[in-house]
Amino acid sequence: MTHKILIVDDEPNIVVPLQFLMEQNGFQVTVAASGEESLEAISKFQPDLILLDIMLPGIDGYEVCEIVRLNPEWRDTKIIFLTAMGRDVDIAKGMVLGADDYITKPFSNKEIIAKIKNLLNNNNNDENGQ
Amino acid sequence: MKTGNKFWWFAAIAVFVTFAILSGLGLFLWHQLAPDDRLVIVKLLQSHFGYVFGALVLLLAAIGFAIDGIFHVYILPLSKLVEETTVIYTANPSHRIALEGSRDIVNMADLINREADRFEQLQRNIREQSQLARAEIELEKNILAAILAELPDAVVICDMDGRVILYNRRAGEMLVGRRQKSKSGGFIGLGRSIFNLVDKNLIVHALDEIDAQIKADAPTTASSFVTGGAGDTLLRTEAVPVLNQHKHLTGFVLLMRDITQAVANTTAQHVNIRSGMQQIRGSLASIRSAIEAILEFPEMNAEQLGRFRSIIHKEAIDLSRVLDGQHNAYADRLPTHWPLTPMLAKDLLQAVIHKAQQQCRVPFELETIDETCWIKVDSYSTILAMLFAIDQIITIAAIDRFFCSLDTGGEFVQFNFMWIGKPVKIEQLRKLDDQLVAIGEEALPLTVKEVRAYNQAQIWTSSTLATAAGTRCCLRIFFPGRQAEDVTSPRTAPILPHSRPEFYDFDLFNQPGQKPEVDGLRLTEAHYTVFDTETTGLDPKAGDEIISVGAVRIVNGRLLRDERFDQIVDPRRQIPAASTKVHGLNADMVAGQPAIGQVLPRFHKFCSDTVLVAHNAAFDMRMLQLKEQKTGVRFVNPVLDTMLLSEVVHPAHKNHSIEAIAHRLGVSVIGRHTALGDAIVTGEIFLKLIPLLIKQGICCIGDARAASQKTYNARLKY
Repeated sequence: MTHKILIVDDEPNIVVPLQFLMEQNGFQVTVAASGEESLEAISKFQPDLILLDIMLPGIDGYEVCEIVRLNPEWRDTKIIFLTAMGRDVDIAKGMVLGADDYITKPFSNKEIIAKIKNLLNNNNNDENGQ
Repeated sequence: MKTGNKFWWFAAIAVFVTFAILSGLGLFLWHQLAPDDRLVIVKLLQSHFGYVFGALVLLLAAIGFAIDGIFHVYILPLSKLVEETTVIYTANPSHRIALEGSRDIVNMADLINREADRFEQLQRNIREQSQLARAEIELEKNILAAILAELPDAVVICDMDGRVILYNRRAGEMLVGRRQKSKSGGFIGLGRSIFNLVDKNLIVHALDEIDAQIKADAPTTASSFVTGGAGDTLLRTEAVPVLNQHKHLTGFVLLMRDITQAVANTTAQHVNIRSGMQQIRGSLASIRSAIEAILEFPEMNAEQLGRFRSIIHKEAIDLSRVLDGQHNAYADRLPTHWPLTPMLAKDLLQAVIHKAQQQCRVPFELETIDETCWIKVDSYSTILAMLFAIDQIITIAAIDRFFCSLDTGGEFVQFNFMWIGKPVKIEQLRKLDDQLVAIGEEALPLTVKEVRAYNQAQIWTSSTLATAAGTRCCLRIFFPGRQAEDVTSPRTAPILPHSRPEFYDFDLFNQPGQKPEVDGLRLTEAHYTVFDTETTGLDPKAGDEIISVGAVRIVNGRLLRDERFDQIVDPRRQIPAASTKVHGLNADMVAGQPAIGQVLPRFHKFCSDTVLVAHNAAFDMRMLQLKEQKTGVRFVNPVLDTMLLSEVVHPAHKNHSIEAIAHRLGVSVIGRHTALGDAIVTGEIFLKLIPLLIKQGICCIGDARAASQKTYNARLKY
């Protein structure tokens, strides 16, 4: 089964390599450049995992995460924060809001793929286990 | 009782007694006579009634004249003699008695005057001796006060009730501002509560902390907090205890430093660093992700590869820009450990030229000089480094004459040292920059470059500088320009005052609690605001308005001339020419001044917790009361009137004008008919009246008010 990934970032120069990377690894990818766009994309695209930047125009990454977690339909959607803040307190805030993992910019492509695969596989295992 | 009334009482009693005696004698004789004799007398009286009545009237007139004579020749002069003798030995030893009366009383007055001469001489000798004895200790106190006054940090010393015992000029500036407007609208002054200016909870918390430290015998006994100052400034405040010999807290010292700029710099630096870090992380993420994708997928198509290369290129450029921005922002806020002093650039140039002409023996010709630009430098090292550079350049380029100019270019202040002839190469300049500064016998352990860095100065040379006089070679040294408002308050040289400066009073430590019943306060201990108003006329009911308010404070028996309130008021009506003649204020002078509605609330704060003192206070108070409804400001302070108090101590005198009282009590009258000038004279008169009142057993505010109310002039209403 092809997993669906939503990349939410307003910076095209990071979105382009990420999208390429995900596609090369066999994921189905959609991109959103703002918090509002991401919410629309989540309802339409129903992603398995969201790569969510924190600093977004309009609704920020924290708020998107909160909205996703409050919606029971999207309960199983995995969220990985992409953060350029790099401060423990920012990361802790993201985790408290219900993110599954975080990646601090700059990151290695291998690291991000490993984290995504790990989360999605766990998800599969959970589903199979049920 | 008024002197006139005394006379009539005396006359009435004398006439009554005389008639009582005569009637008594008459009755006695009447009873001794036989009935026939009585009939003869009655007939005689009836037939000669006119003569008898005339004799009685003449008798009455003779008694009246005798009483008037006795009163004016003996009794009234005696009463004045007592009053004026009291003035001599209490308020004004230079006062001499001048009386008209009986020869005996005039002789007695002369005798008292001669004794007064001796008394005055004696008092002068004692004063001189005690002044000599106190001179040394006063000098030490004044040195301390002068140093405190000029400290760059604010110092406020308070007793345990929070009342200010000492403060310096910087404290006034930091807490209240140079225009006397604090955030809380409070004033700073001796005896005033510091809690009007600094949040009480902060101080109480600091004192609790200090108390705990003392009890725990901690090595440090101090507590710090940050509070707001005048004009949205932030003051880092350190509270330090004042302990008595038993190690009990008797007061505290607040040491304050303005950290507004430092906090703004640090905050801006943090924001800058944080946003820079985020931008760098973002760009690096793009570059790393793109390059890893290229490396991981070497078979990617040319279009994809092109996009990734362009991402890497763009992000690398962004990265450089971010780093440049960070570098500049850092350099702008580079904290320097050298204290840089603001100074006029022209002063620095003149100092350099003055020294250079002595050291280098080359003439300097001044051309265009911008006299308005300020810089911030360490002047000694800067002058020495500039001198060294000029000296080196003279040798390198064999210069025989310099042309100097000073101007601004962008944000920089430029010192141009120009010459005609051989240019200085950039390599020679770099070499110069790396040399240790040394000229004549003076040297620094620093290179020119290091001195430049500390003073944020740049150096540059040109062989083709176009000027009005033609093309010249130039050595340009430039510093970041400062706005005049950046420059901190000019420091004046401390001057030792002749008498104890008025901004401290250690005696206040021994004051009783802050708010006892005011009427029970001793006259010598109460705090007073002595004030006066100038008005457009003398009839408040007919629409005359206040045109200026002046006030000074009296704390612990000292008139604090520096703690003044001096405000011209726009009366919002025409000023009659007759009143302008009195106070000198005309329409042009009141234009742009605040209206009474703005002035009275400030004045009300200025007088809070004090007893008001004015001359003919009924008039001034009426002026203030008429504004109560409009301004919502009510003056409920107790009021003392120097006119009434003068009447209390000198009932035999008729004239109680400011001039007359001042003359009697030996107060010099300066600056009359300005509100502040009159307030100061009134204050000095009041201080002289206090010992005279105490002599009469009037020791408290309540006594003084009660005695005033009984005087004749207290009946005056406006």
